Amino acid sequence: MTQDKINRRGFLKAAAITVTAAAALRLGRAAKASEPVGSSPHQWAMVIDQSKCIGCGYCTLACRAHNDVPPDISWNKVIPAGQVGEKEVFLPRPCQHCAHPPCVEVCMVGASYKRADGIVMMDYDKCIGCRYCEVACPYGARAFNWETFDGPNPAVPMWGEPEVPRRPRGVPEKCSFCFQRIDRGLALGLTPGVDDDATPACAVACPMKARVFGDLNDPESEVSVLLATHPSYRLREDLGTAPRVHYLPAQKG
Amino acid sequence: MLAHSSRALKQITPLQWWLVALAALMAVGAGGGLVVFARGLVVTNLTDLVPWGLWITIDLSSIAMSAGAFLLCAAVYLLGLKQFQPVARTATFVGLIGYSMAMLCLLLDIGRPDRFWHALVFWNPHSVLWEVTMCIMLYFTVLVLETAPILGQATWFRARWPRLAQALRHIHHFAPVFAIIGLGLSLLHQSSLGATYGILKARPIWYRPDLAVLFITSAMAGGPSLVVLASMLAARLTHRAQVNDALFEKIAHFIGWVLVVYLYLRFWDAFAMTYTYWPGRSEGLGLLTSGTLAFNFWVGEILLGAAIPAGILLTPQWRKIPWMRMLALGLVVGGVVAYRWDTNLVGQLVLLTYLPQEIVARYTDYAPSLIEYFTGAGIVAYGLLAFTLGVRYLNVVDHYPVADEEVEAQLPLVAGDRRLIYRRVG
Repeated sequence: MTQDKINRRGFLKAAAITVTAAAALRLGRAAKASEPVGSSPHQWAMVIDQSKCIGCGYCTLACRAHNDVPPDISWNKVIPAGQVGEKEVFLPRPCQHCAHPPCVEVCMVGASYKRADGIVMMDYDKCIGCRYCEVACPYGARAFNWETFDGPNPAVPMWGEPEVPRRPRGVPEKCSFCFQRIDRGLALGLTPGVDDDATPACAVACPMKARVFGDLNDPESEVSVLLATHPSYRLREDLGTAPRVHYLPAQKG
Repeated sequence: MLAHSSRALKQITPLQWWLVALAALMAVGAGGGLVVFARGLVVTNLTDLVPWGLWITIDLSSIAMSAGAFLLCAAVYLLGLKQFQPVARTATFVGLIGYSMAMLCLLLDIGRPDRFWHALVFWNPHSVLWEVTMCIMLYFTVLVLETAPILGQATWFRARWPRLAQALRHIHHFAPVFAIIGLGLSLLHQSSLGATYGILKARPIWYRPDLAVLFITSAMAGGPSLVVLASMLAARLTHRAQVNDALFEKIAHFIGWVLVVYLYLRFWDAFAMTYTYWPGRSEGLGLLTSGTLAFNFWVGEILLGAAIPAGILLTPQWRKIPWMRMLALGLVVGGVVAYRWDTNLVGQLVLLTYLPQEIVARYTDYAPSLIEYFTGAGIVAYGLLAFTLGVRYLNVVDHYPVADEEVEAQLPLVAGDRRLIYRRVG
């Protein structure tokens, strides 16, 4: 009887240690940066030229219309950023679509995920609304739907028509680089960043052409050329998030 | 007429008043919960700047207060300290209540309660919160299995369903297995709850590994404290609860030392942050030490929550005095709650800009709405009610359990009872 007990206890201990070690190994390997979903020849990026931005906010309104965003939420915020010389400078801040997105790492059900082309996507059907992604984002790019958005969208139809379903109450939402326009445009043979119908609504709406969208994998795209020929920066580079939104700083004069 | 009703009022026992009060709180809480489910989280004072508030604090605190279960079960079944088995029994029941309170709180707090089950099906192993959720679900199962024998021991249950009661009691044979699993799962998720905050680079005041260590250490102080305090209160309020004070004294002594370790870790954790201005972190520390959270931090967490109780529980003459011990334990529980409230808020109350020229810190504030308070109170009332019913009907506070054979002898014979077989042979 005692012999049995020792054997059983020993077996249980060994089993527990083995299972724990195996789980740790498997999780340890998976614990590196989240893997992107699928594969793509494109690497989308956005360049925002602060010397051209006048802070009109048309980008925010176009975004609100095309993505059916509630009036109390802004996927794209235009932030006053001081002055350079005599000129007021602004910083339009969409979702940064980080290459190492904190929101994707912390989402417990995997509702936030990275596409291979660089867009950080939201699966609004999986999301349970725990708001961990909102707490984790260093850029405050996410907004939660605290209540149901009923009724007409005030930005429609003046700034555009909704192209994606309205999100329900209880999930956070954020800029999606207008993936619906990109995907539809590519299917129709258009070039995102060149053809308006395949380009994010904010970039199309900007009257100063301050927002440029394109493929970093194409060395001749406007974004690649701009980044190669102008000094640029990204927000909070020190955090290591590797955002895909680059800013050209406003120049004096 | 009035004289008649006042006599009727006097006939209501204190227990009944207590149950009525708890039921009223629960009803109000349930009403609040229905409003939340119907209208959404807009009825709270949570915002995009402070998305986690009172409910998360209650959730974290409930889990911390359940830590007595894994600690005491590990002590009894893995370290062989068999004399604490009755307290481990109480602690297991308290743990079950605590985890169910936490799950109720989470159900309220997530934006899509109807998708609660998604965590079971959709996994993201990269997420600390995923690991926490998995561990909590698994550990809740362990707690249910560890509590089942308690139900099987209840006399009224044995009389009514003798075979089921026997089966439930048999589960107790696996107690050492549950203790190992429970220890592993608890060590994982109690610290992971701290890591939930600790891995966020976006919030410098949180972004440090110490949070995981501090969370589990404070849980190891708070959990046993609640178990001992609740047991001591039960023993004083009802004859059903029979306790051996010597066990409580030893556990209280242990808690005193855990508090010393906690204070030591907490000191170095905070002190290290005072060196060199770090945008976001220094402001957070400022909020804790001299800002809006300062009273809660210095008085609630450090002085009343840890230092004074450590002093009382480590001084034998004071530890022996029941009311002093209960006071100290109560203060520890309060301190653990205060720590979680402070930690949850401090990272959210400090806002960092991401403008390139200069990283500037600004502040926001948060105070729970009435509905958050009502629903929170309802959940706490549920916990108290569950414990009260456990003491009354399941004998969860009982250090002198009646041996199985004696209980059996008192139960009426029913068809199929194995004692009938012996009688026939004899």
